[in-house]
Amino acid sequence: MKLLSILRKGAVKSALSYKLLITMWIITLVMILFVAMPLKLGLKMIFSKSFAADRLLNGFDIGLTGDMGPAFGNLLASATYGGFLLLIAGFLLYTFFAGGLFARFTTAYGSFKVSSFLKSSAHNFITYLGIGIIMFLVIVVWAVVIIGIPAGITSAVTDDPLSVITVSKVMVYIWALGLPLWFLVADHSRIWVASTGTRKVFKALGAGFASLRVRFITSYLAVLIIFIVNLIFLWLIITFTASSIPEKGLWIFLFFIATQVMFILRLFLKVWRYATVSELALPSGEGQ
Amino acid sequence: MKRVSVLLLILTLFLTVKGQVIFDRPLSPRVTGYDIRGSLNTSGHTVSGEMMAWWVNTSSVAVPDAMLHMYLNAFSSTKTSFAGSGHWSAAGDEGWGWIKIRSITDSNGSDLSSLMKFISPDDGNIYDKTVLQIMLLQPVAPGDTLRLNISFESKLPSPIVRTGFAGDFYFVAQWFPKFGVYETAGMRQRESDGWNCHQFHPNSEFYANHSVYNVSMTMPSDYVAGSGGVMIEETDNGDSTKKVVWRAEDIVDFAWTAWPGYKVVTDKWRGVDIILLTTKNGLKISDKQIEAVKFGLEYLDANVGSYPWPHLTFVDPPVTGAGAGGMEYTTLFTSSGAGMVPGFLKMPEMVTIHEFGHAYFMGILASNEFEEPWLDEGVNSYWEQRIVDHYYGDGYGMVRLPFLKASDTDLGRSSYITSPSRSVATNDLPSWMYPHGTYGMMSYQKTAVWLHTLEGIIGTETMNNVFREYYRRWSFRHPSGRDFIAVVNEVVRREHGNRLGDDMNWYFDQVLYGSGTCDYKVLNVSNSRITGYSGIIEGDTVTFARSDRKADTLYKASIRIERSGEVMLPVEVLVGFDDGDEVMEYWDGKAKYRDFEYEGTRKVSWAKIDPENKIDMDVNRINNSWGRDDDFPASRRMMTKYVTLIQLLISMITI
Repeated sequence: MKLLSILRKGAVKSALSYKLLITMWIITLVMILFVAMPLKLGLKMIFSKSFAADRLLNGFDIGLTGDMGPAFGNLLASATYGGFLLLIAGFLLYTFFAGGLFARFTTAYGSFKVSSFLKSSAHNFITYLGIGIIMFLVIVVWAVVIIGIPAGITSAVTDDPLSVITVSKVMVYIWALGLPLWFLVADHSRIWVASTGTRKVFKALGAGFASLRVRFITSYLAVLIIFIVNLIFLWLIITFTASSIPEKGLWIFLFFIATQVMFILRLFLKVWRYATVSELALPSGEGQ
Repeated sequence: MKRVSVLLLILTLFLTVKGQVIFDRPLSPRVTGYDIRGSLNTSGHTVSGEMMAWWVNTSSVAVPDAMLHMYLNAFSSTKTSFAGSGHWSAAGDEGWGWIKIRSITDSNGSDLSSLMKFISPDDGNIYDKTVLQIMLLQPVAPGDTLRLNISFESKLPSPIVRTGFAGDFYFVAQWFPKFGVYETAGMRQRESDGWNCHQFHPNSEFYANHSVYNVSMTMPSDYVAGSGGVMIEETDNGDSTKKVVWRAEDIVDFAWTAWPGYKVVTDKWRGVDIILLTTKNGLKISDKQIEAVKFGLEYLDANVGSYPWPHLTFVDPPVTGAGAGGMEYTTLFTSSGAGMVPGFLKMPEMVTIHEFGHAYFMGILASNEFEEPWLDEGVNSYWEQRIVDHYYGDGYGMVRLPFLKASDTDLGRSSYITSPSRSVATNDLPSWMYPHGTYGMMSYQKTAVWLHTLEGIIGTETMNNVFREYYRRWSFRHPSGRDFIAVVNEVVRREHGNRLGDDMNWYFDQVLYGSGTCDYKVLNVSNSRITGYSGIIEGDTVTFARSDRKADTLYKASIRIERSGEVMLPVEVLVGFDDGDEVMEYWDGKAKYRDFEYEGTRKVSWAKIDPENKIDMDVNRINNSWGRDDDFPASRRMMTKYVTLIQLLISMITI
């Protein structure tokens, strides 16, 4: 019951931060459109007034790529490199937002304006960036240790690639079960920074690790549940987005709206974890 | 003496029955045959054998020599024509492959070993020992049969490229000394009699007589074996080995495979027994694989000719033996995938259909793959694409996802039209003469593309009739490309008169014997208003009166079509007007450009060259049409998907 209650409180806090979520969504969307719009224009220019474009109506026809010639390669490269740059920018942006969000869930009292959100984001950014990068690397190393090494050993002792795939599959599950631990460390570190105002990355990480001892089972289960819900929702969005092929103007507009609503919900689910861990970390009554 | 006679009679009867286990009447002239007793040594990865091989001199001259393929020697050093091209290197000391003749005698028991020498007829490579010439003690007279008794040992290579071993998996092909083809004058437009025996090349490996094979192989008892023949018997030797006896008739090569891990699936299509040797994982897609081979049987039976053998074995090799995948030995072929390819991608099915198709073009028709690879691989790719797209979906035969699709035909065409080397060579080169990196694109895909185009020009039914006639006339007779073209000319003239010219040579001269590209495009569409003027001349004064009432507005609409490639083909141009009317125009496609002009009250709204996409040779179909609305919904949808994808990725990589 306690677990459910904490999850519920986290969800409520996350939902009440809707203005911040919408701010995050708008900034993200604008940033991505800077790359996506020229790509769309490029595609339009390739086809100009050709009826060959009709072959794209019902899903992307790979057979057309040959007719598109080098222009297709250029477009693909732009989408890939542009996407890579957007991911780097997005990583920085969401690390920035995390500063404001944790401030919202730990030290803020009463209403929390968007300006305060951005101010707190800026205040915590450098420290959060350090924590974010280190924890990102930790998760990568965790993947190498848990998945890469066993898979490597298996491939060295057997010629059967199926065995390697089977071992890797099992280890991916184990890796995923460990992820909530690293999320907890990252979140506790950031809560510690937000609540103490200290800007020392390693001290914060130490505090994050130390906080694992507090209400460990509840914390782990709460983060695991949120993680699973997020995964399921991600799968839903990806399936919906990939499999939808609206062909007419209005339907495409509605498709765009639907994907963006889903993305805002995805933000809500992500922030749900921040709020829940903050709820778990703070003494009752704080951070309301 | 009487008892001996009775025994001889019984023996003769037995041999006669044994010799006719598959066909009452031979499908082919059967000028060669092989009786092989061998054993597989799994510790040394060798096959040792005793063989009696025979060849009938069907020519009108005495033949002084014999030529044999010794193809496993391609793996004996890194300087052979096969390995030297970078296609293979041995996996350690155990990986080298070779074939050695321990002894060779003629039917009189005379030793011929001192009369053997390796030759390199294709490239003069002295390190290549894949063709053996034997000078005979006595020439083989016309109508006589040469019998050679050969003791040989074959070491299988690793890694597997077509043939070899991987752990305890064996795919044994090109493993025994095999006769070349003795061609008589006139055969395949040849000027004089002589052996046609090519070295082992990375890009081709088949040109051989249709033969009879009696093969007996000893191997460990726990091995599951299959071959291109019918299994006659399998007996346990009681010493952890077993003997497997196969017989095959009228096929151009005999390959076999053995592996303890094989799972066997059997099925039947009409009178054909189908055996699939697959892996444990491959069992998951065995239904699809069997279905694919049945599609191939059904389609080629209906549109080309009947599959004559009552048996067919195919193999989905394990991942470790993937190098054996995608190969054809007529009644035995290998697919690929081993159950590891996602279901939306029809790659294993495509490979199965392709390799099965070789039973027709390499197996039944048996053209010379070395000298005219297009006639086997290209023709077969064309039929593979037709079959895949017919059964798995026109437009999405190869890839079928809600957001992504590709037809087999389009993928093949893309490989040709995107190649920067598409014009560097003609399409009729011998396999080893293609410029580096162009063999696959030219032999497989360019050929398939111009065959699809030919189908577009002459119609699908005429195309089917061409192949039906080609099959009827040339089965088991080794046709050449010129023979195929003669059939095309004959059938097209019969069905279309001289609508397309006296013959179709103009087509083959461009696409097969030429290297040009084909590209027609809509260069310009314009609708200019015709202003009506009336003039009066009075003395030195000229007065013009302009009349342009809207209802009577006249337009001069013009469309300019350009031929920007070298290849000239007849094209159709569909023109759409603003009153909804459509006009189909025809152009012989020979001039550099062609204008279509219309005067009237209507304007041209759009124009489409080759509206039914008959001309696959056209390297750019985007410039084939003009007039689509500016609205481009697909681009908006794709942008939405891109935005959402990046949004999700950002939210996922941030902790």
